[in-house]
Amino acid sequence: MILDLERFQVQARPRWRDLESLLAALESRPDRRLNLAEGEQLQELYAQAAADLNRVTHGTLAHELRQYLERLVARAYAELYYAPPVRSEIWQPRRWLRIFTAFPETFRRHFRYFALAVLITLLGCALGGLAVHYDPASVEVLLPADYLRNPDQRVHQEEQEQGQHLDSAQTEAAFSAQLIRHNIQVALLAAALGVTFGIGTALLLFENGVLLGAVAVHYTQRGFGLFMTAWLLPHGVFEIPSILIAGQAGFYLARLLLRRREDRNFRQSMREWLILVVGLAMMLVWAGVMEAFFSQHHAPVLPYGFKVAVAASELVLLTIYLLMIGRREIGTEARSSVPSENR
Amino acid sequence: MTDTQLTRASTAAELTIATPEGVLFHLPLAGPASRLYAMLLDTAIVLGTINGVGLLVRWIFSKAPGFGFMVITLAEFAIGFAYGALLEGFWNGQTIGKRLFHLRVIDQNGLPLRIEQAWVRNLMRVLDALPLAYMVGGLSVLSSPLMQRFGDRVAGTLVVRQTPVAAPVEEFWTRQKYNSFMDYPVVAMKLRRAATPELATLIQDALRRRNELATYARREIYRELATYLQSEISLFPDELVEKISDEQYLINASGILFGDQRLSRVQG
Repeated sequence: MILDLERFQVQARPRWRDLESLLAALESRPDRRLNLAEGEQLQELYAQAAADLNRVTHGTLAHELRQYLERLVARAYAELYYAPPVRSEIWQPRRWLRIFTAFPETFRRHFRYFALAVLITLLGCALGGLAVHYDPASVEVLLPADYLRNPDQRVHQEEQEQGQHLDSAQTEAAFSAQLIRHNIQVALLAAALGVTFGIGTALLLFENGVLLGAVAVHYTQRGFGLFMTAWLLPHGVFEIPSILIAGQAGFYLARLLLRRREDRNFRQSMREWLILVVGLAMMLVWAGVMEAFFSQHHAPVLPYGFKVAVAASELVLLTIYLLMIGRREIGTEARSSVPSENR
Repeated sequence: MTDTQLTRASTAAELTIATPEGVLFHLPLAGPASRLYAMLLDTAIVLGTINGVGLLVRWIFSKAPGFGFMVITLAEFAIGFAYGALLEGFWNGQTIGKRLFHLRVIDQNGLPLRIEQAWVRNLMRVLDALPLAYMVGGLSVLSSPLMQRFGDRVAGTLVVRQTPVAAPVEEFWTRQKYNSFMDYPVVAMKLRRAATPELATLIQDALRRRNELATYARREIYRELATYLQSEISLFPDELVEKISDEQYLINASGILFGDQRLSRVQG
């Protein structure tokens, strides 16, 4: 406790002013590095200001002074304990390209959440497919959009209209952008719904699965199996896995939040969630382009066999990418291979 | 005495940080209202940017409106997320709106936020903005002791209020050359002893706001304060009090309360 606050303030003011100017210099240039003398000075001034703060308890000026000192200590604390990312490292293109290997690595590291997402989607598929198989009337309930309910009409329309599709690369470009945006939004939501302990993510995946199963069985029953495969798969082989990865990210987030207290490396884990999201967004860009520019063209312009072959080779490439690219070892060692600004 | 000051400080929500050196300090948290205003401003800026970019793109792609539409759609989507994430990441937790409303996003442990935290909390907007007008995020803020929306909870960040605080300035009454109250050291000492910190701050604030007050209001307030001091706390001789104005009375009293320790010299 200090009896004579005024005298104390007169004595201490020079060192507060020093600290203030040092902090102002640091804060205006985030990439600035302290030299040894400055570092020692900052440490010493911070310790003194903190001690001063503890001593100011009583007196007419105490409240204002405490506010001022708390702000000063907070700023110095942030400067002392925070290691800012090095600017030159942030702008290195090689670090950004790391995402292409970090994504499959992260995907494999958290494969069990992916498996869970697949399981839930398959459950939905089975339910939707069985419902339509045993009770065709349920199509009315399960498939929301009118165009999905009438395959005959739809297929006819698609095959007729393709003459117009052909010379309208413009329309296709606009269409692809909308698809990309919509799909990324849905996927991001699935990944974000991890905060509902994964329940929201599971519901979203399940609903998606029901739709998928119902459409597949419905079209196959009417004998449009090949058409549908050729129509949906060229983009579906990227779109469906990316939604599943969104589910994986969602479940991973749920697990992360539940174990937050124990996880000493929370920031690192959060970065992995981010890598999954960025990776699936890249996949969805490709899916959107394929859906608009390739999937919408039907026989005789593009033979169905060719479209299915393209879809199959896409799937093979994606599988190789997700399973083989990047480091092979899984475990604590691999954790540190993710691009890191922590030093 | 300390207790009253502490309760006064903790009426607003705040984050308390205990440093490894054993010092506690508090950071005031930003309420939903100021965050909403900042967000509205940011939204306006984003919309303006998107429209500007849109005009430019439409001009460039005037021969191919479809491709132009594609570029605009993707750009507006990207700008929506990147505006907050990039600005917060590189500008120490502030967007333009946050800067104007004196808000800053920081890490939960009182340190500056990192770039990936900025991205996570901004990507989580897809959830917080649901179902409309940020209802999910707003409810999350209201239900969280640290006023975090879901994006903040996941990223481990929070928004603090950072109105500039200057060191208590030395007012002119602490450096008076001559203070007639000093001629009566016993009464002056009594004033010093009896005045609570709240009362002293009140007097000082009244003097500081001299120019913000209307003339009649100032006269009334100063008269009330001076009368109260004179009758309840310290009895300076009438012949002295009659000679000076209420304002001068308060200035002299502040000189005693906040001034240098000349009093002891006079006594000595």
